[in-house]
Amino acid sequence: MDLIMQFIINSLIAGATYTLVTLGFNLVYGATKFVNMFHGVLAAVGGYTVFFFTQTIGIDLWVSIIVGIIGAGLVGFLADRFIFSTLRIKKASNLVMFIASLGAFIVLQAVLAMVFTSQFQSIVHSVDSPRVYEIGSAAITHIQLLIIITALFSSFGLVLLLRFTMFGKAVKAISDDEEVAKIIGIDTNKIIGYVFFIGSAIAGIAGILIGFDTGIQPTMGLAILLEGATASIIGGIGNLYGGIAGSFLLGFVENFGIWKIPSEWKGAITFSVLIIFLIFRPQGIFKK
Amino acid sequence: MAVLQTNKLEKHFDGVYAIDGLSIEVPKAAITSIIGPNGSGKTTLINVLSGMLDIDGGSIVLDGIRLSRFKSHEIPMYGLTRTFQEVRLFNQMTVLDNILVVLTERNVFSALFERHSNLHFMRTEELLKKINLWEKRNELAGNLSYGQRKLIEIARALAMEAQIYLLDEPFAGLFPEMLKVVVDIVKELKTRGKTVVLIEHNMDLIRELSDYVFVMDSGKLLADGKPNEVLNKREVIEAYLGE
Ligand SMILES: Nc1ncnc2c1ncn2[C@@H]1O[C@H](COP(=O)(O)OP(=O)(O)OP(=O)(O)O)[C@@H](O)[C@H]1O
Ligand SMILES: [Mg+2]
Repeated sequence: MDLIMQFIINSLIAGATYTLVTLGFNLVYGATKFVNMFHGVLAAVGGYTVFFFTQTIGIDLWVSIIVGIIGAGLVGFLADRFIFSTLRIKKASNLVMFIASLGAFIVLQAVLAMVFTSQFQSIVHSVDSPRVYEIGSAAITHIQLLIIITALFSSFGLVLLLRFTMFGKAVKAISDDEEVAKIIGIDTNKIIGYVFFIGSAIAGIAGILIGFDTGIQPTMGLAILLEGATASIIGGIGNLYGGIAGSFLLGFVENFGIWKIPSEWKGAITFSVLIIFLIFRPQGIFKK
Repeated sequence: MAVLQTNKLEKHFDGVYAIDGLSIEVPKAAITSIIGPNGSGKTTLINVLSGMLDIDGGSIVLDGIRLSRFKSHEIPMYGLTRTFQEVRLFNQMTVLDNILVVLTERNVFSALFERHSNLHFMRTEELLKKINLWEKRNELAGNLSYGQRKLIEIARALAMEAQIYLLDEPFAGLFPEMLKVVVDIVKELKTRGKTVVLIEHNMDLIRELSDYVFVMDSGKLLADGKPNEVLNKREVIEAYLGE
């Protein structure tokens, strides 16, 4: 029973982590229709920014976190301005956009490795041991609890933003038909820039939280991206709600999957689920 | 006086001269029809005029301002709007939102927080009632019939409050009562002093509505003038029958 409780908690943590990745990933996909690989490295950018400001410069943790979130958003925004929007104006295909985003991902990841070494590092000092809450004999650290709460708030906030503001309607219009959105006077390039900022900032939040939970490494982006992209495809790519559902589904399947088998198999479970979906329901859970 | 003018306009698609040295002057506060056989470049002209395609040569003069390169999201600032031959709505949005989204604040920062004012709702209601689709306001635009979608596109153009309306075959495929709604809207635009450019194949409608007609053929201007003069010209009849 307690074992089940722990599995449920672990599933929720995983689902919340993936949710933080899919939110931005799907937001960007919805507006631009390309699979943005660059999204993954933004998590690392968030984590390393906080690391740099707290450990190297020694600035207050909360200030560093805010800088990390804005920094990740800004890096995503700039990548759009200099790379993706340029390609968009040239009417580059989605494949070209995909490759370009992968290239930008690899470059930035290499830069992080050069600056911070490719070692695994911890954002928090090793002396601060995490506070742990006990639920029966199951446990959750306060960082993990924070991951779940943040995922809830981010999802809720983003949904409200898209549903109830004119910015949200503009994003929806662009997702639906970018050319027509322009004809009615929406500066689509500008709105997409903001979409990149928002999506990337959320990816930064994910990276920071993961950094606090387990640690950071320049290559952390790829694993995060693959999980997030899988969750997005399961849920219906480009669909915010689908991404959230897909994230938690994936979290539960992975964590309950490794109940009876070694946890090294987790990756195999993830991709088996992905392949099953690609074959039997490629449009995902939520796509109409 | 011409509000919209093209000078030796060129638009090519690898080897195809879709618009080939076209010079026309669209009179203000009048209905101008552009006719011509299939593939003569009518839609391409609208695509170029609305900034969706770059110009390969020549220029466009809008309200006295010469434009050689402009972005399509800027055309509303020049008082120009258009509809599409193949009806393009925001299919995943409700009918109501399809109109409301037009009435929004154009500045991104304000748009971030703006909710719809009552005024916008009232205007949307008025427009949807005009096309008899107020009852359908909460349905997804993608789920409506072709004719209904065509009407919504017209209503969206009206919501733009433009000075120049470029309408690409707005009557095509409409049943009589819907057709009448659109005909009335076009006539009303003229009485309100707006400029309408129509692409149309139905000769009776062209005679009934237009003040002036341009005939295009293979991207070139074949003839122009008052409807009755133009439609009786031998080369015009031949261009249509000759396809
Ligand atoms: N995006 C495009 N790419 C390549 N060729 C195009 C494109 N758009 C139009 N054309 C070509 O340009 C020519 C003019 O096409 P256009 O659609 O402007 O004709 P039209 O007069 O609107 O015809 P219709 O009456 O059938 O609507 C055609 O030969 C067409 O194939
Ligand atoms: Mg056409």
